[in-house]
Amino acid sequence: MPDEMEEIIQDFIIETQEILDGLDEKFVDLEKNGADQSLLNEIFRNVHTIKGASGFLGFNQMVELTHATENVLKKLKESIIELTPPIMDVLLESMDLMKVLLGHIKDKDGGEEDLSSIISRLKEIEEGGAPPPEEETGEPVREEPAAAEEVEEKPQAPPGPAQGSAKEQPREKIQLEQTIRVDVERLDNVLNLVGELVLGRNRLTKITSNLEARYVDDPEVSSLSETMAFLSLITTDLQIAVMKTRMQQVKKVFNKFPRMVRDLARSRGKEVELIISGEETEVDKSVIENIADPLVHLIRNSIDHGLEPLDERRRIGKPEKGVLKLSAAQEGNNIVIEIEDDGRGIDPELIKAKAVERGLIHQTQADGLSEREALELIFTPGFSTAKQVSDVSGRGVGMDVVRTNIQKLNGTIDIITERGVGTRFSIKLPLTLAIIQTLMVQVGGDTYAIPLGSVLETLRVTGEEIRTVDSQEVIRLRGEVLPIIRLSRLFGTSSGNGSGKLYVVVVTASEKKFGIAVDRLKGQEEVVIKAVEGNVVNLNNSNIIAGATITGDGRVVLIVDVSMMLESLTSGALAYA
Amino acid sequence: MFDPNMKILVVDDFSTMRRIVKNVLKQLGYKNIDEAEDGAEALSKLKSKGFDFVVSDWNMPNMDGLEMLHKIRTDPELKELPVLMVTAEAEKDKVITALKAGVNNYIVKPFTAETLKQKMDQIFEKLGKK
Repeated sequence: MPDEMEEIIQDFIIETQEILDGLDEKFVDLEKNGADQSLLNEIFRNVHTIKGASGFLGFNQMVELTHATENVLKKLKESIIELTPPIMDVLLESMDLMKVLLGHIKDKDGGEEDLSSIISRLKEIEEGGAPPPEEETGEPVREEPAAAEEVEEKPQAPPGPAQGSAKEQPREKIQLEQTIRVDVERLDNVLNLVGELVLGRNRLTKITSNLEARYVDDPEVSSLSETMAFLSLITTDLQIAVMKTRMQQVKKVFNKFPRMVRDLARSRGKEVELIISGEETEVDKSVIENIADPLVHLIRNSIDHGLEPLDERRRIGKPEKGVLKLSAAQEGNNIVIEIEDDGRGIDPELIKAKAVERGLIHQTQADGLSEREALELIFTPGFSTAKQVSDVSGRGVGMDVVRTNIQKLNGTIDIITERGVGTRFSIKLPLTLAIIQTLMVQVGGDTYAIPLGSVLETLRVTGEEIRTVDSQEVIRLRGEVLPIIRLSRLFGTSSGNGSGKLYVVVVTASEKKFGIAVDRLKGQEEVVIKAVEGNVVNLNNSNIIAGATITGDGRVVLIVDVSMMLESLTSGALAYA
Repeated sequence: MFDPNMKILVVDDFSTMRRIVKNVLKQLGYKNIDEAEDGAEALSKLKSKGFDFVVSDWNMPNMDGLEMLHKIRTDPELKELPVLMVTAEAEKDKVITALKAGVNNYIVKPFTAETLKQKMDQIFEKLGKK
């Protein structure tokens, strides 16, 4: 039976995780909507369920904690005590501890937590005592000793309060039955295989068209072409279908935010209404996994720096409650996520002053900046406008990290701000990271791919136009000095025409521009990125390779990582062959 | 009157719990076990296929164990069906309510295979005497 037990525990971990994830949101809803009976019942039932299963599986700490929590919930359900923010804090804290305990179960580390403090506070609440001592806003707890027995019957009366939740349940049930859990590894494997298939298809298409050209009248060849066209179509459909299996709703990330915003607002003494929309928008799993941190940072920023304190809002005639909007929407092959607050907006002059003060730019440079350019300064490493370093914002992770993370996902971030009215951060990300549009370039006998998203323009230059300044090759582009990196020298391949005409692909990363010098431009191609193991790449500067792909003509093509190139360029780490 | 082929329905909204209960029943030698995730689903299963025994949780969405019990007892086809109710800890009020509603026995979770066997034996014994 041990295997069976192991499987049951795995089930328990997954199901409990789902319940706990859902509970955060339910608690915040509860705080918003007051003592909604059906919601309370649901929360109670969730906690009760965890307790029951934990008992069987011998997770005693979980039993202890859920039991104490359940008792408080029961009193709330029976309206014996009233839900106040301090009580909510304790409940949420216990919820967090449940997650920690679940983590121990998951890691099988046998770890235990000190539950004495939380349990005694829960007990205190349950017994109608004072809410946690560190809170000054402790509201009196209503005592209704006689009511206990009557209310007990309530949730059991058949036509009674169950109705509220009954309407929603069937829908949820249907969804459950139509879903199966699949190990991510298996999905990744399927995606990989489809990637290989697409590459094979591309090769086959190329060969077919060669044959077509050679044997124009051969009926065998024309039926090959037809079959090929069919196969090609199916492969594309298959690829899309597999991509879709990896898509997840951004809800998965957005779910965390009501709770986070609530906690933050409370600790800042601000009132914030979070409005979430488009949470059903789907993106690839890898995007979901990497977008949480930047969003957390932006939301913290909005609450910390964007939204004014209550008294200030009152003074300038804004509603006390600040509004924070979080939205997601699909635009073509991209997802656009926006975070908008109705706070004080960003003052470009203030940004400039700060940047000068921090020594990031000169006063003379600052004077010449447009508003847009001034705003861009907040993405500079070392920039932070927080006057007071709070425990959440200003932990040394700045907007520069936010932008770097977004760029790693091939995305962009924009700021739209109006003083006194608010600020909106708009993030645009590709729906998937596995397929990208690239510009194919040729250097010597080799082909390389440059992600099209980073390409600004392409130029044709002669050898004489390239100058050397401080041992760095540059060209002049409309009065601007543009550093140039020669791919041939980076990868130690021989360039076909060293002194003659060259092409320069102007690319951008982190709002900086530079040029990549190549021999020839081959055109645009959609490629499937395959990861390249570091030790397989037997060449210089392998860190600036984002991956590899195989083109229709069967060549392996390396895809360059533009932001890594820029990093190496600025740090002088590029090793020229 | 142990019958390994007896048809048993396990009702619980938490699939882990259903698995646990099924596991315990299997340890006792029962082979014919089906499951339902709430009272409503349980009722429709009970009506369509001849079950011999029900092990049900109390607190479930949609239709809880007590309501399901009421429905079983008032259904002419099902009213004799033995029902074992699973409760969290000894909550006396609940137990009394359940007994009044016609539950054959109750069991407090977490329970061992042995306790479950005991409770089931008690039910069969009583039914046998009738």
